Amino acid sequence: MSFTTLSDEARIALDNMADFAWSLGSPSLRLGVTGLSRAGKTVFITALIHNLTHGGRLPMFEPWRAGRLLGADIRPQLHPDVPTFDYRGHVRKLTDTRVWPESTRQISELRLTIAYESATFLGRSLGRGKLDLDIVDYPGEWLLDLPLLSKDYRTFCRETLERAREPRRTAIAADWLTHTSGIDPLGPADDEVAGRLHELFSAYLGAARGGSLALSMVPPGRFLMPGDLAGSPALTFSPLELPESGEAPRDSLWALMESRFEAYKDVVVRPFFRTHFARLDRQVVLVDVLSALNGGREALLDLEVALGEILACFRPGHSSWLGQVLTRRIDRILFAATKADHLHHVSHDRLELVLRRLTDRAIARASFSGAEVDVKALAAVRATREATVRRNGESLPCILGVPQEGELLDDHLYDGKEEIALFPGDLPENPQALFKEPEADEPALDALRFLRFRPPPVEVTAEGVSLSLPHIRLDRALDFLLGDRLA
Amino acid sequence: MTRRPTAFDLTADDVSHVRPGEAPQADAAVIVEEAVEADDLPVPPVPVRRRFSWSRLFFGAVGGIVSLSIGLWLDQLVRDLFAREDWLGWLAIGLIALALVAVVAIAAREIAGLIWLKRIDRMRRRADLAAARDDRPEAEAVVDDLVVLYADRPDLASGRRATEARVGDVIDGRDRLVLAEADLLAPLDAAARRLVSDAAARVSVVTAVSPRAAVDVIFVVVATLGLIRRLAALYGGRPGFIGLARLTRLVLTHLAVTGSIAVGDGLAQQLIGHGLAAKLSARLGEGVINGLLTARVGVAAIDVCRPLPFLERRRPQLSEIMAGIRAPGAK
Repeated sequence: MSFTTLSDEARIALDNMADFAWSLGSPSLRLGVTGLSRAGKTVFITALIHNLTHGGRLPMFEPWRAGRLLGADIRPQLHPDVPTFDYRGHVRKLTDTRVWPESTRQISELRLTIAYESATFLGRSLGRGKLDLDIVDYPGEWLLDLPLLSKDYRTFCRETLERAREPRRTAIAADWLTHTSGIDPLGPADDEVAGRLHELFSAYLGAARGGSLALSMVPPGRFLMPGDLAGSPALTFSPLELPESGEAPRDSLWALMESRFEAYKDVVVRPFFRTHFARLDRQVVLVDVLSALNGGREALLDLEVALGEILACFRPGHSSWLGQVLTRRIDRILFAATKADHLHHVSHDRLELVLRRLTDRAIARASFSGAEVDVKALAAVRATREATVRRNGESLPCILGVPQEGELLDDHLYDGKEEIALFPGDLPENPQALFKEPEADEPALDALRFLRFRPPPVEVTAEGVSLSLPHIRLDRALDFLLGDRLA
Repeated sequence: MTRRPTAFDLTADDVSHVRPGEAPQADAAVIVEEAVEADDLPVPPVPVRRRFSWSRLFFGAVGGIVSLSIGLWLDQLVRDLFAREDWLGWLAIGLIALALVAVVAIAAREIAGLIWLKRIDRMRRRADLAAARDDRPEAEAVVDDLVVLYADRPDLASGRRATEARVGDVIDGRDRLVLAEADLLAPLDAAARRLVSDAAARVSVVTAVSPRAAVDVIFVVVATLGLIRRLAALYGGRPGFIGLARLTRLVLTHLAVTGSIAVGDGLAQQLIGHGLAAKLSARLGEGVINGLLTARVGVAAIDVCRPLPFLERRRPQLSEIMAGIRAPGAK
């Protein structure tokens, strides 16, 4: 437990005890929706709420199947100082204008109260028949900060510089790298120099995250999504080329940067971790494998590193009754490859294998500490339909849908209106093939191309009632994450 | 064999977009066939197991009292015999010991039969759920159990080998079960169908020619029980007396539950056929009806004895079984 200090541990335990006292008689479940930016956290949460409140079709969710699910309602949340998750706004966007929600810029929270009929006699006569589900949505970039908690400034500098010098990143990092190498860390602390460095550094991170590279490992996360902290000293630092050994001299640029780095950890990262991540019961890790596959092998390897570092920050394990009072542990983790609707279902197994390969270390760690782990390919909102295309005697498993405006395939730019059938390519049978160094004579990974599709039109019944959003395996995910607590 | 990513414009001239149920354009170079939205499979309700029942407690207690009284009576008997003559007492003890050994053996067989029944039932339920959920680990476990169940059946050796060879392949949970069904149960299903056909034929003939109603009633009961026992043995069970009684009860319950299904299953034609046969001769008509009933009991018994539900293979239809009768019966 090197991520939290002793005082943090004490405060987490204290908060847990307060929670426990509050929640006596009204059980609550904290669901951690984890995922890097664009993994689909907001859509997942929206679809989850929509399906539960609108009685969506969830046949594999046992309480729904047995008819024990009575309904769900949005209730006042846990922390009054955090904005409420804008569920209605997101649903309106999805159904009316058929666009995906924009990337999340600030943290938000929501409590969903699920009413159910217990399946056991004791539960029916003694229980309240309600479960409070607490969910937090936040910009995925912030997640990248969690691994920083265990690093000092020197390690941070070394790793960031090493990463920036990787061949694929040199083009976008060149400006910042040349500028940094011209600066003496032992020189005087100058706010202007620091500001300029920070500017170039954030520009490099932004370029690495966006564009065609789709890299994941771009900490610190707040540099990409500063929120209301933009311009504050804690956010105005940058890695430097430090000398091999020694301490930072007084009033040097190095000392300035180091103190700001520590401030960043204390002011920004630690509170975020403590209030929202240290005390989860269940966790779903959403991974957008497909866009990493679009980005090629480097993007995939980068995603692997990022996931590995982030998942090391959580606390999986078997939870006991007493343990729940003091230290909450995550006793079930679901690894979900999102956007499975961008693939024909015959490839879902292979997608799951790729995700398993990406997170195998985290899976091993979680299983070892006693948590239940599952891996699934899912689509919280299903944007496509399936079809078989027959051409020249071969048949291709395809998906039908309307690609988003600006998507590009074979030099054809889509305008967001025409419907197409897409064959995205075959995922390899052995996921290892995606990770290994390509042979010299082998062509690069262009055998796969996943377009992004617009949200589906929501069907309306004759009475004008809009049906719930279609999905793929959201019901199984819910069954795994919540099913036992609704028994 | 790399297939490049391709997009097909649905509005292009040479592309024919076919919705479910439509026929494709003949001259289209590319045919886009939309998949039928699989409406979700009906999922079997998960049964809630009752752990405790008052009636079970009552019968348990009464059973205990009866055994105690029998013990007391035996004890008294042996004492009396010893009082009269020593060798009589020893003889009684010897006989009791022999009876005990036999009882233990019988009980063991009965228990084995009951355990088998329970095991089959649990296996089928698990398979049902695993197939509905497409749950791979659960399906693997069921298939492993199935292989163990048939481990000492030489006639299924090739099926076992085929099933074991597929371990480790990436196969969806449901498909895993479907393959095991094809490998292991298909030969058994064929044999079972033959057994049912034969029994039905025998019942038909005996009913048609028997001189007295009582004779064919007894024959039908014996033949049906024999059929159930043989089907159980075929699917790997060795039911004893209690096992057979319980199995018969299960079969009859199953028959009552699924009775309405059979209406669509060619029963109407069969009954019309019976009408025709009855026009020719009343006895012949009765024979057809009795044979039909035996066949239905047989199909229900297959349902109950089979360790997997019918997934991809068809449940034997009454019409097929009756057709199986006619072939030899025509002579």
